[in-house]
Amino acid sequence: MHLIAQDLVNGILAGGILAVVALGFSLVWGIMNIINLAHGAFIMLGAYTTYQLFTSFHVDPFLSLPVSFVLLFALGYLIQRFIMNWVARAPVLTTFLLTFGLSLLIVNIALNVWTGDTRGVTTAYSGANFTLGDVTVPWAKLFTLLAALAITGVMQLWLTRSRTGRAIRATSMDIGAAQLSGVRVTEIYAIVFGLGAGLAGVAGTLISLSYALNPSMGDLFLVKAFVVCVLGGLGSVPGALVGGLVYGIVEAFATQIDVTVGGQHISGSGLQDAIALVVLLIVLIVRPTGIMGKATA
Amino acid sequence: MNATANALVIEELSAGYGDTQVLWDVSLRVEPGEIVALIGSNGAGKSTLLGAVSGIVNTWSGGVRYGSAVMSGLEPDRVVSAGVVQVPQGRRLFGSLSVEDNLRMGAYLRRDREVDADLEKILAMLPRLRERYDYLAGRLSGGEQQQVAIGRALMARPKMLLIDEMSLGLAPVLVDQLIEILARIHATGVSILIVEQDVQTALEVSSRAYVLETGRVTLSGPSAQLLDDPQVKKAYLGV
Repeated sequence: MHLIAQDLVNGILAGGILAVVALGFSLVWGIMNIINLAHGAFIMLGAYTTYQLFTSFHVDPFLSLPVSFVLLFALGYLIQRFIMNWVARAPVLTTFLLTFGLSLLIVNIALNVWTGDTRGVTTAYSGANFTLGDVTVPWAKLFTLLAALAITGVMQLWLTRSRTGRAIRATSMDIGAAQLSGVRVTEIYAIVFGLGAGLAGVAGTLISLSYALNPSMGDLFLVKAFVVCVLGGLGSVPGALVGGLVYGIVEAFATQIDVTVGGQHISGSGLQDAIALVVLLIVLIVRPTGIMGKATA
Repeated sequence: MNATANALVIEELSAGYGDTQVLWDVSLRVEPGEIVALIGSNGAGKSTLLGAVSGIVNTWSGGVRYGSAVMSGLEPDRVVSAGVVQVPQGRRLFGSLSVEDNLRMGAYLRRDREVDADLEKILAMLPRLRERYDYLAGRLSGGEQQQVAIGRALMARPKMLLIDEMSLGLAPVLVDQLIEILARIHATGVSILIVEQDVQTALEVSSRAYVLETGRVTLSGPSAQLLDDPQVKKAYLGV
């Protein structure tokens, strides 16, 4: 019984990070119809930003959250403004190639700067945890979850209440009508792509507290972002949160599978991703627009 | 709602999409305070003309001026800031945004403090929208949606309204209501260019009109005169 409770808690803790990992990816895809293959590279840059600030200046990882956000926002904004806008509204394959190339470029620059060595951010509280009944909760992961919840909450408020947020949603519904209302679409797209990158940076910072760093770490998280965002519903902030939590919990329970079939021992930890993808398939069969997704407007 | 009224002048405008030319040397004027109608059948290029004025369709040659300011070649947001605002065909509301958010989108470029006051004025003029204020725009009836579209444009404080196929798909009683609303907007000093397939209605509300046929202006004059024109009667009024 206590295993189930522990798995649930682990799943929720991991799910918070996954929600932030998917959030920016989902916004860019849902609003601009760009599947940003450089999202993983942006996450990696966020993680290394935190690593560098921590090792060089002893900045607490949580304090580097705004730095990661601002740096990656600026990078994303400039990339959209000066590169991606050339292929705005191009077929998906074009943006696919472009973002894939960007990803290769960024990862290789990172390899030159930080080498391929595995790095870690180990703070004074890295190993600290507390127990609640039979359940162990690491402090760092708890604060990571709280930060993730705060970030998704702020994003949702900003998108629904602010002038720019409203313009972003309007542009995603009808570009022409948004232009006739005075919206400059290239500017909105640059902001959205910047936001996607900034959120990836924030995700990287949160990841650096619990995972090892290397320049190609982004690939794994790109795949997870893809699954979470399809699971939760494209372009939806609550969707990213729910998708992240569901994915995290499913993965956590999958690790407990331990069966022997015909003399073949099968352990869940090796099957984590396979099981998560099966869940994705089932959700898509039952609800093709994702858990929180709306029927196409 | 208007500050300085200007004339909208379209001079020998040619425009189109890709390799396909839609407009051929179209010239048209709307004087300050006028209601002018642009009539013509489906595919004549009426919406393309409004698109070119609003900056969402590229102009090939000729030009558009509003007062002394050149509009052709400007980004759509500059045209809106100049006070030339379009109510697009088919309403084009932001379906998953509330009526309030749709109206506020109209004031997107405004940084003044009178946005809320204007919102209140528009709700006073279009009381139906007050009842539907928190509804998603996509859930409203066609007539209500057209009111939102007009209200959204008014939130930009236009001096010149371009209204594309306002009556399309609406029952005659609703069209009459909208005509009344237009008259009230006009009374506040806003000039209006209406584009209509409903020629009878268009000629009744306007003082002057232009007939557009396959991208060219073939006839123009006072609306009352066009209503009696045998050519117009035959082609558009079915009499």
